[in-house]
Parts: sequence; structure tokens; C-alpha cells
Amino acid sequence: MLTLTVFLTQAAPEGRLFGLDNQTVIQIAIQLFNAIVLAVALSVILYKPAKEFLRKRSDGIQSKINEAETAAAKANELIAEYERKLKAIDQEREKILEEARVKAYEESKQMLAEARQEASEIKKRAMESMAEEKKRLKEEARLYIIEVAAEMAKKYLAEAIDDAVQERIFEETIAQLEEAQWRN
Amino acid sequence: MDLNIKNLWVVYIGGVEIWITETIVNTWIIMAILILLAVIARIRMTRFSLVPRGFQNVIETVVELFDNFAAGALGSSLSYIAPWFFMVFAFILSSSLFSVFGLRAPTADWATTFTLAFATFILMLFMGFRHRKGGYLKSFFGPHPIFFPLNLIGELAKPVSLSFRLFGNMLSGTIILAIYYQLTPWLMQIGIPALMHAFFDVVIGALQTYIFVFISFMYIRGAAADN
Repeated sequence: MLTLTVFLTQAAPEGRLFGLDNQTVIQIAIQLFNAIVLAVALSVILYKPAKEFLRKRSDGIQSKINEAETAAAKANELIAEYERKLKAIDQEREKILEEARVKAYEESKQMLAEARQEASEIKKRAMESMAEEKKRLKEEARLYIIEVAAEMAKKYLAEAIDDAVQERIFEETIAQLEEAQWRN
Repeated sequence: MDLNIKNLWVVYIGGVEIWITETIVNTWIIMAILILLAVIARIRMTRFSLVPRGFQNVIETVVELFDNFAAGALGSSLSYIAPWFFMVFAFILSSSLFSVFGLRAPTADWATTFTLAFATFILMLFMGFRHRKGGYLKSFFGPHPIFFPLNLIGELAKPVSLSFRLFGNMLSGTIILAIYYQLTPWLMQIGIPALMHAFFDVVIGALQTYIFVFISFMYIRGAAADN
């Protein structure tokens, strides 16, 4: 059985700076034990938990960086896709506009031609109408002259025509004829 | 200032006399402080946010810097042993820093530095055989079997040189300061020793911590990496 006895300092041998004996070996063994205890304590209490904490945080940050990179890659893909779509839309718009321009030009050309033709027909119809109107007015004027001449003859026969009366009737008839001509 | 490492108690376990030295007690003090800080950090870690601030920044910077250092020096395939060297780094640096407050650095005791160097040596052998298997053993006989004794001595010298380098550097600061305190009048012991402590304990301590851990990494990488 082990016996443990502790003596006070007074009983302890004189100190020394350096020695190579059994006590040195014992000191080394004690210090080795102390070192192992300290190493285990520091490792378990501080070093490994701190490293674990740092590792977890690094992993967390790395994970967030990866997520951000993935999101950025997706966003870039979306941007590229939208740019492609916008480009396609622009090309489509240009195509539609070009077609519309061509179509509008063709339609305007056709409308212009139709309008010209219609105007020409309207003008032609107007000329024909004018010609007919002119003919009708000439006929009316002729009939009116005949009517005036008949009226004059009737008055001449109804009154005893003297020179003065004849002159007056003539002047009136001429005036009526001039008025009729001016109206036409 | 006494250069000797005091024996505070003597303990008998199973009839074996064990000296509880100043180094061991100081090691326990440093261990307790480091473990307490680790517990505080662990408790605070439950409230760590995505965006680090204040204390979280300190913890993250320390762990991340060391992890990157280990991964860079050892390579990613060997960096799983980084927790051990995190302890080595924290312990050596704390030993130097606490000596500013008058606590004799445990690293100014060869037993401590040899312990750490011996652990590096064991890890070097383990990693060499684990990663290179027979190739590592074969490397002791290269370029010709006649070189085996030289290679063996070379390998065995590694923990010795590693331990004495750290021990020597840490002890030198202690000795220089002790001599300074012995030889100078009391007026010269105001202010100036603080600068000397800052240099030997903080600057040299940090530098030696880096050197010890870096050389350990190189030894292990040299043993484990297939050249």
C-alpha cells in the first residue's frame, strides 16, 4: 500500500540549478504528467471547441457565399434570357414595323390611285353634268326668248303700235333678254 | 535573487522520495491560471456571435493564428497534433510572462524543458513510424548503413539540443537579472529592472516560445514527411 508523507520546507534538501539523477527523472515524469493534463484540458476546454466554432462559422459563411453565387448565376442566366428575349422582341418589332411600313406604303399607294381615279370620275361626272346643265339652260333661254317674242307680238297686236310705243316695247324686250343672258 | 530551484516539500510515495520543487508549484499555478482562462473562454464561447467583438476577437485570433501557424509549418496532414503544441506554446509563453511578476519561470528548469523536448521526440518517432512506417526506420541507415550510429546520435541529440536551447535562454535572463540585482545599488534597481524583465521575459520569452514550437514542428515534419 502506498504511503504518502509530506515534509515541510525545512526538511527539504537544498535547492539546485541543475542535476542528472533520480530526482530529475521524477521531475521530468511529474512535468510530463502536468503537460499531458494541461494539454488535454486546453484542448478539450478551449482549442477544439474554438476550432469547431470557427469551422462551423466558416462553413456557414461558405454556404452563404455558395448560395449567393448560385443566386447570382441564376440571376445572370435570367438576365441573359431576358436580354435574348428583348433582342428577339426588338427583331420582331423591327420586322412588324417594316412589314407595316411596306403594307402602309402599298395601301397608301393603292388608296391614292383609287382617290385619283375617283376624283377623275367625279370630275368627269361634273363636266358631264355641267354640259347637260349648259344645254338645258340654252334650251330654257331659247324657250324664254320665244315666249318673250310671243309676248311682244301679243302686245304689239293688242295696242295700236306707234313709234314711241314700239321703241319702248323694243327697249323693254332687249332689257329682258339682257337680264336673261346675265343670269345664264 | 537565488539562482537555485528551491525544493518546497518532500513527498514520499511508496517509499520513493519526491521533491516538490518551485518549478512544479509554479507549473501548477500557471496550469491553474491557463485552465481558468480556458474555462472562462469556454463559457463566453456559448455567447459568441457571427461577427466577433472584444473578447471573442482575442480568442479567435489566438486559436486561428496558432492553427494557421501549425498548418503552415506541419502541413495539413500532420496538423492534428496542433492541440499538444498549443499547450506547449501557451505554457512556455505564460512561463515567461509570469516571470515578470516574480514567478520563477518553470522553463528555467531543465526538467521542464527536457520534458517538452522529450514529448516532441516521442511525437517525432510516433509520427515518423505512423506516416512513413518502415521508410522512417530506413532513413536511419541512409545514405549508407555505416551512417546508422551518426543518424541515431543525430536523432537522440534533437531533444537534448531543443531542451538546452530553451533552458539556456530562459536561465540566461534569470542569471543576468540576478547578477544585476547583486551588483547594482538600490537606486539602480528602480525602473531599469522592469525594462530588463520586459526584454528577457517578454521579448526573449516570446521569441524562444516561437523557436521551440517551430523547431519541434520541423523535427516532426522531417520525420513524418516522405522525402
